[in-house]
Amino acid sequence: MSIIEKTDFKEALTFWPRHNEALYRRLESKHAWLEDRHQGDGAPPDALDNEMVLNIGPQHPATHGVLRCAVELDGECIEKCVLDIGYLHRGVEKLAESKTYQEFMPYTDRMDYLSPYSNNVAWCLAVEKVAGIDVPERAQWIRMMMSELARISAHLLWMGVGLMDAGAVSVFLWSFQMREDLYSIFDHVTGARLTVSHSRIGGVVSDLDDTGMDMIRDFVERFPEVHAGWVKLLNRNRIWIDRNVDIGILSKEDAIELGMTGPNLRGSGIAHDIRRFEPYLKYDEVDFTIPIREEGDALARYFVRMEEMMESIKIIRQCLDKLETLKGPIRTDNAKRAYPSKNEVYYSMEGLIHDFMYTDTGVTPPKGGATYHAIEAPKGELGFYVQSDGTGKPFRVKMNTPSFTNLQGLEHMLEGGLMGDMVILIGTVDPVLGEADK
Amino acid sequence: MSKKQPTTLSFLFTPADSAAGEDSNPHAKTSTNVAGTLDALSSRFGDAIEEVTAYAGERTVRVDRARIIELLTFLKEDQGYTYLADLGGIDRFTEDDRYEIMYNLVNMDKGKRIRIVIRVDEDQMVVPSATGVYKAANWNEREVWDMFGIRFDGHNDLRRMFMPDDFEYHPLRKEFPLLGVPGSLPLPPQTPSGGLTLDPFARAHGSVPPKSYDEPAGEDD
Repeated sequence: MSIIEKTDFKEALTFWPRHNEALYRRLESKHAWLEDRHQGDGAPPDALDNEMVLNIGPQHPATHGVLRCAVELDGECIEKCVLDIGYLHRGVEKLAESKTYQEFMPYTDRMDYLSPYSNNVAWCLAVEKVAGIDVPERAQWIRMMMSELARISAHLLWMGVGLMDAGAVSVFLWSFQMREDLYSIFDHVTGARLTVSHSRIGGVVSDLDDTGMDMIRDFVERFPEVHAGWVKLLNRNRIWIDRNVDIGILSKEDAIELGMTGPNLRGSGIAHDIRRFEPYLKYDEVDFTIPIREEGDALARYFVRMEEMMESIKIIRQCLDKLETLKGPIRTDNAKRAYPSKNEVYYSMEGLIHDFMYTDTGVTPPKGGATYHAIEAPKGELGFYVQSDGTGKPFRVKMNTPSFTNLQGLEHMLEGGLMGDMVILIGTVDPVLGEADK
Repeated sequence: MSKKQPTTLSFLFTPADSAAGEDSNPHAKTSTNVAGTLDALSSRFGDAIEEVTAYAGERTVRVDRARIIELLTFLKEDQGYTYLADLGGIDRFTEDDRYEIMYNLVNMDKGKRIRIVIRVDEDQMVVPSATGVYKAANWNEREVWDMFGIRFDGHNDLRRMFMPDDFEYHPLRKEFPLLGVPGSLPLPPQTPSGGLTLDPFARAHGSVPPKSYDEPAGEDD
């Protein structure tokens, strides 16, 4: 009898209950740091009548995707918190093992879907490192500029959604106006609004034209003014500050110990940015600063992200100036390492063969080669560990995704906070579950 | 069901066997040049260090797994590798020492990154947990347990990270089929009033959803 014909589902239905049981058992047995604090001041925790276990998510608008938090409440205070992720698990690491290196790239679009360009670049750089492929200068500048646009786009969404969590819907609409402009730029330059897949191993797929340059220049001209408007609205906004100040405090030590990354780390006073730490592309040739804040609370992370957007604009300006004069190829001219141009494919036999071979086998890094390459994605360190067995498909891909790393810290951050601050804290960590769940 | 052979590429190609030279890699970073740390490690641990490989400017240090915690503590406290950037498993699919666990450690002050690797044999799928040294290892170790079935001794919360707790397999092992195991995950009904399915590829077995999405025939028809 095949599985489909089975009519008695009783056994199968014990599935989720068992999962939940494990989760609640963990919540019950968890030793949270708050208990230490209670013991420290001598007073036993007075949670006799108010304790309550509450499930938030996975289907809850304020959890930014399918994040499930099981919390134990004492009155309004979160005593313990256990996060449950995996509702969006697609097994991309497994899928990568059966795809050629180039074929896998569209999957990276769908990881952090708020900044797909950064993910493409991260993947391409990782493959280029393991295969030792050089990238033409112009392609590197284009990649860098578009990644910074993606950073602005991701931070805009964080701002809009974060403020909507705090009850201000209008900023959401304003930030989406700017995001719409960014999407138009992506649409024009890459051919797609969201899942761009513009980067290629060994370069990028198409060059920037004058219209694209003008659109970006126009955006860069307009953005500072709009940004100044938001700053004016928010930086001295009583409600926004009161909601954010002194909640979810992470000390320097805690932030490192918990492995926080990106703006969450810099909000705690640690100037760690992969763009400085291990400069990739042309980041060692541009002038920018890394905003940091010492306080480590939600407000500090807000300031860090707001300033990062302006730093991105600074970088994009320098990229635009550079791209004015820097002409040249946008992809490596080596048929074993990068796709040939479409003209070659359409009008020459070799080009067609190369295109076919590259689609079929693709790039073959040396056997036994294994590298880790990280970039500074909008949310933090996004790294790919790629191991090759000499064929056209990776032997093992391990992703180090910032949202996954940051969510672990969120668990710690929520404990001891108030229930009402929870949505703010989730917003301030800025997780994307597509990326955390892999 | 007959056992399916692993697929190989069906045409001839020449795998490049030689690893690229140290200096020729255009993406090599200075941060992975960790000569000082390697010296300190070899003088302190000596024969516990089994192998040091270099590729694209990166150093991978393979160490004896019995001394991994001691070594991580030394790196954290003496060498300043305070930040655990990544931890993950690798299925090498070999007969001996099948699995590997890698630790990606960062020294933020000196700007260094090093990769430590231990090997795990199939006979003994338990390794000491690094959560006592790096708190950040918690979720990563749960992920390794979920994906490879390697247990971590001393981990206080070894539940599965992504898959539900009652899932029986470890998906990132090489023998786990790409399409999944039919019947291992009950799925929601395919239509609002349909029943539960046990197979994500029910159609492949001849099953059709019990109802179509078309409007039901009314009395007038």
